[in-house]
Amino acid sequence: MITFIQLLFTGLSVGIVYSLVALGFVIIYKSSKIFNFAQGELVMVGAFVTWSFLSLFKMPLLPGFLLSLAIMGVVGYNIERFPFRRMIGQPILAMIMATLALAVFFKGLTLMLWSSYIGIRFPEVIAEKTIYVLGIPFSSLILLNFFLVLLLVIALSLLFHYTRIGLHMRAVAENQYVARSMGIRVTRVIAQSWALAAIVCTIAGFLFGYYRGIDFGLAQIGLIACVAGLVGGMESLKGAVVGGLIIGLAETLTGYYIGYNLKEVMPFIVMVVVVCFKPYGLFGLQKIERV
Amino acid sequence: MSFPSGVFNTSYVQDMMILRTRSQRVVLCIFMLGLLCVPWVAGQFWVNMLCTIATTSVALMGLNILTGYCGQISVGNTGFMAIGAYTSAILAGQLGLPFWLCLPCAGLTAGVMGILFGLPSLKVKGLYLSLTTIAAQFIIIYLIKTPFEKVTGGAISLDVPPVSLAGYVFESEKQIYCLLMIVTFLMAFIFRNIIRSNVGRAFLAIHNNEIAAEAMGINLYRHKLLAFFIGCFYCGIAGSLLSVYSKVISPDDFTFSGSVWQLGMLIVGGMGTTLAPFLGAIFFTVLDEVVLVASPLISIVIPQLGAQVTASMMEMLFGLTILVFLVYQPRGLAHMWDIMKSFWSRWPFSY
Repeated sequence: MITFIQLLFTGLSVGIVYSLVALGFVIIYKSSKIFNFAQGELVMVGAFVTWSFLSLFKMPLLPGFLLSLAIMGVVGYNIERFPFRRMIGQPILAMIMATLALAVFFKGLTLMLWSSYIGIRFPEVIAEKTIYVLGIPFSSLILLNFFLVLLLVIALSLLFHYTRIGLHMRAVAENQYVARSMGIRVTRVIAQSWALAAIVCTIAGFLFGYYRGIDFGLAQIGLIACVAGLVGGMESLKGAVVGGLIIGLAETLTGYYIGYNLKEVMPFIVMVVVVCFKPYGLFGLQKIERV
Repeated sequence: MSFPSGVFNTSYVQDMMILRTRSQRVVLCIFMLGLLCVPWVAGQFWVNMLCTIATTSVALMGLNILTGYCGQISVGNTGFMAIGAYTSAILAGQLGLPFWLCLPCAGLTAGVMGILFGLPSLKVKGLYLSLTTIAAQFIIIYLIKTPFEKVTGGAISLDVPPVSLAGYVFESEKQIYCLLMIVTFLMAFIFRNIIRSNVGRAFLAIHNNEIAAEAMGINLYRHKLLAFFIGCFYCGIAGSLLSVYSKVISPDDFTFSGSVWQLGMLIVGGMGTTLAPFLGAIFFTVLDEVVLVASPLISIVIPQLGAQVTASMMEMLFGLTILVFLVYQPRGLAHMWDIMKSFWSRWPFSY
């Protein structure tokens, strides 16, 4: 029973990082209807950039982290500027392919710049301790991770509901033409949403990389986050969080009870099942199509 | 299509011919003979390169039918290739079936799996479907690695026995090359004709607008599943050819990034055209070789780049090439080829 509760909690804490990346995914999808397959690579690049500032250049934690967030934000902003603004009006497939190409590009870039650093970790921020909650041992890191992400998710939803940028983003997500006629610069809002997504990805890369180590496997998290977003429904922030948690739980539980190999494909199996019964995810909007 | 002056169609049969003029036939014959002569004229390097191009273009034909013509985005292509490769290797190695039986069996198994994973396409489309095909990729590789470990050898590689046809064993590179070329030509011929048939037209209609296609009396579900079947059948054949040519296969040959690369090749080739599979495969195989030659030079000039210059250069160039094509020439190399042809025949006039 104790193992089960521990597993449940580990699943939730892995899941909430997926949720975070999925949130970035949903932010981009909502504002520009682009499925960003480069999400995982953004996580990876973000983690490597942060590591470079913290370990390679020996910067203190807070300035180094903020600087890497700023850099990734600029990168995200420019992703919209270079390929996507020039591709307006092209079919969905072209958009998908552009994000896949970006993913491959980032992978190559990371390989070129950081391939000689193997088995790297972030410098230790807090020592790991074991905390007993109701007699059940938990790792303090996982607990901290969980609450940090929870805080971030809440902050993001506040941003969406109570700030000007968030309002603009919601307007663009609702209807680009209407938003435009209300005086919102749609391209800039979309670029901002890319920047926001890249920042969120960097934070996720830091949190995930902190206890997992930084390597090229971090990119895998992006695909799983896509799956999480799809399970939750692409239009819904709430769905992204719930989807991430479901996927994290499913992965951890199968990893423990069935086997490691199945653990890797479990998110995909969950997704295929969900898509077969609820094609637009758990909280997604049903689309009505006309000729 | 434009013909030289003096060539007229006087019957429907003539109008439907692929090769309309004598010079087209002559050029094709010379081209094919030239291809068959390559192993005796050029070295090992060129033979290997052409073998890679041949297998890749068969796989791309499948992807072209499924994604280019029918519009069902598939990012799980190499997964279906893996099915074909393993099926033919196991049938030939453990049951001792002859190659002419293994090849269609490989295609059929992959096709049936394609239908299975195409089932979500009845409900979802576009972006959502692309993720279910990614799921197909990972699930197939998992199936090969774990539940079917006993027959497939799991994560370790599986040896492929040499091909035998009616007592004749294909062992040397030259023989395998000729076999690959013949099968590729056959598949290309069938591909061209599927596209021109009513099925191919139905695929195009579905691509353009599903609801309109349905209103015109096209059975949507049947044709979508048929597209998945044919597309994956081609992938299965390509996988089987790959196993014959590389002689040893492992799950690592069929990665997710491989599927992405194939989609990229098709984009650069010019999705939805007959030429795309060949142009895309040729372009990227040549690019690969160029990077392979150029990257050591680059690492001499800039030694700080680290140990994996080749791999990283390849990925970066690949990503950039696709982005550049998507932004500046979304219709791909096939369209550029058309422009060049019309420029050639109409020069010095602009149209």
